[in-house]
Amino acid sequence: MTKSRSHIWFVSPAVLLMVVILILPVFVAGTFSFTDYNLGSQDFRWIGWKNYESLGKFSSYKKMFTASLTYVVIVVPVSVLLGLGSAMLISSLSFGGEFYKTVFFLPVMATLLAMAYAWEFTLDPVIGVINKFLDDGCSVGWFYKFFTGSWLGINPTESWYGGLCNDRMPNWLGNKKYALGSISFIGIWQAFGFNMVLYLAGLTSVPRELYASAEMDGANSTWEKFKLVTWPMLGPTHVFVVTITSIRSFQVFDTVEALTRGGPSKSTYMMVYAMFEKGVKQNLIGMGSALTIVFLGFVLILTLTQVYFINRKVHYS
Amino acid sequence: MAEIGLRSISKSFGSTEVIKSLDLSVSNGEFITIVGPSGCGKSTLLRIIAGLENQSTGDVEIDGNVVNKTRASERDLAMVFQSYALYPHLTVQQNLMVPLKLRRLSFLERFPIIGWFMPNRSSKLDEIVSKVQAASETLQITHLLDRKPGQLSGGQQQRVAVGRAMVREPVAFLMDEPLSNLDAGLRVHMRAEISELHRDLKTTFIYVTHDQAEALTMSDRMAVMMDGEILQLDTPHEIYNNPSTIRVAEFVGSPKINILKGECDEKGNLNCFGTKITDSIKLAQKGNVSVGIRPEHMQLVSSKDKNVIKGKIVYRENLGSDIFLHLTVNEGEQKIIVRSEPSNVINTAVGDQVMIGWDEQKVMAFDVDGENITMQ
Ligand SMILES: Nc1ncnc2c1ncn2[C@@H]1O[C@H](COP(=O)(O)OP(=O)(O)OP(=O)(O)O)[C@@H](O)[C@H]1O
Ligand SMILES: [Mg+2]
Repeated sequence: MTKSRSHIWFVSPAVLLMVVILILPVFVAGTFSFTDYNLGSQDFRWIGWKNYESLGKFSSYKKMFTASLTYVVIVVPVSVLLGLGSAMLISSLSFGGEFYKTVFFLPVMATLLAMAYAWEFTLDPVIGVINKFLDDGCSVGWFYKFFTGSWLGINPTESWYGGLCNDRMPNWLGNKKYALGSISFIGIWQAFGFNMVLYLAGLTSVPRELYASAEMDGANSTWEKFKLVTWPMLGPTHVFVVTITSIRSFQVFDTVEALTRGGPSKSTYMMVYAMFEKGVKQNLIGMGSALTIVFLGFVLILTLTQVYFINRKVHYS
Repeated sequence: MAEIGLRSISKSFGSTEVIKSLDLSVSNGEFITIVGPSGCGKSTLLRIIAGLENQSTGDVEIDGNVVNKTRASERDLAMVFQSYALYPHLTVQQNLMVPLKLRRLSFLERFPIIGWFMPNRSSKLDEIVSKVQAASETLQITHLLDRKPGQLSGGQQQRVAVGRAMVREPVAFLMDEPLSNLDAGLRVHMRAEISELHRDLKTTFIYVTHDQAEALTMSDRMAVMMDGEILQLDTPHEIYNNPSTIRVAEFVGSPKINILKGECDEKGNLNCFGTKITDSIKLAQKGNVSVGIRPEHMQLVSSKDKNVIKGKIVYRENLGSDIFLHLTVNEGEQKIIVRSEPSNVINTAVGDQVMIGWDEQKVMAFDVDGENITMQ
């Protein structure tokens, strides 16, 4: 019997495309990361691990890791919990659910770059609607009382809001203290609608009878049913949502590029923005490649963690 | 143990009325079966008793107290669901512990993390574990305690579901077709086990099924339900031998009862296509009737010394222990089934012309409204 070789012809286009489009670029980046290659220069030198060493050496890269990790640590839990909460609220509605779904999903569908400019106007220290609102609030008695905490007996001028009223409203994107928070807020605003949709899908797969069963077993509050049924039954969804949100948060770029360009004083210097700045703006291909490899390392760790959890912990049958 | 009473319960989903003014009293320690075709409202009725669904009108009483406003978790009933509804992320042992934990531990003792520091928690947990151990010994599932439901067979899951219902000693058990996911052999076996469990626990059981064999074998009394109404509530023996209407007669019994067109006169004589069937109809009125004779009350006869019907065998169904003969009678106008011992019909074949006799004592007749007029 002669062995047919036709299978090679069938799989080769896919394999070839995968190599050229996916694996080769990573390999090339890996190679470049050990050189000092600059785009435009004729030759390059092998410099070993120097690019990687400088990641640990220079303060701007330390700030980069801090900013990226802080962003992830803020955006992931908040947007995941908000997504879960809103999904549960929406799925408990008897009508109007479609409306809320659409509204919360809008930020996901909108181009983040365009939305970033809208946020720039909103957060503008002088003409921005947020500061205008806070400014006007200073002269509204109950609003001032509530936000300064004077109804709790705190001295209004010592509180955060009281201080702002006496001085001036913050520069949300230009002040080192607020910039990362503002970027994170936009990140949450953008991500939670997506998480909500994933959780809505997850909730529909929870068998109704489990809630009836929990009720018969004595779970008479929403909290008990959540603890006994909803939360554990969403196990696979949690893993997926957390992983996807983490990876997407690591990838944040549009808002940084449009609003802060990594500033002020590198407080919002995120990884992908650094890759862009080094590799594209400054043509330092070697350094950019090293950043890319480290970034891929992070994503790989996240993905492997997800695979581990999917296989071990949340697989019930 | 509890008495359960339903007082003119009705239930509508939108404009469709699923249950129509239904009354039912279940006495202490009784095993009652609600049987009926798919979609007749059995599950809905059970969910109303459990408190998982609100009735549109009427009262549910437990031990004489109206519990319309009491929520399901506080009615102290246990339910076994058709799909078992075990918590897939918990082991069998944890599944069995859930109802006890929810009822015996305080809110704080159950709270994640904080609970670990509550003083009485561990002694209460020990008590719960020993209860679970006892229940799993009764049901012979001790070797399964560390498994997840996904790693169990259907029959084992069914036992765990029963175990979860019985650990906390509820006042009554509600079971919604608990055996319908099992294969035929296991179903027969579990029937016996559930009956035995009922004898041991002496608790009230309300058991819903669409399988009349389960109802006939297990229950003290059975309620035949159709289109949201209980047509007859009586012992299995009475329901089988004395169905109140033709619908009950047709639903109960396998193979189905033979129904023939006939006429009755004032003296109680009953004729089907010219042949006299019986002369002892009790509530006789002149007119058209439907005659019902169960397949096992008919047999093939050889001589013509009694009244007989002539028929032709069209199909022969061999079940090993019995043979069902499908026949056409009245010149092919009507079909009947005769259930017979294999030895009696060994020489018959499809296409044979045969004579059929019947047991006159067992003949039933139903008037044009379907009411039984032979009540024995
Ligand atoms: N939530 C609901 N909304 C509308 N109609 C419903 C609802 N639940 C049940 N029904 C209807 O009520 C009727 C009775 O349903 P039920 O589940 O009680 O039937 P059942 O007797 O248990 O049938 P089965 O033997 O198939 O389980 C059905 O016609 C069903 O379509
Ligand atoms: Mg049902």
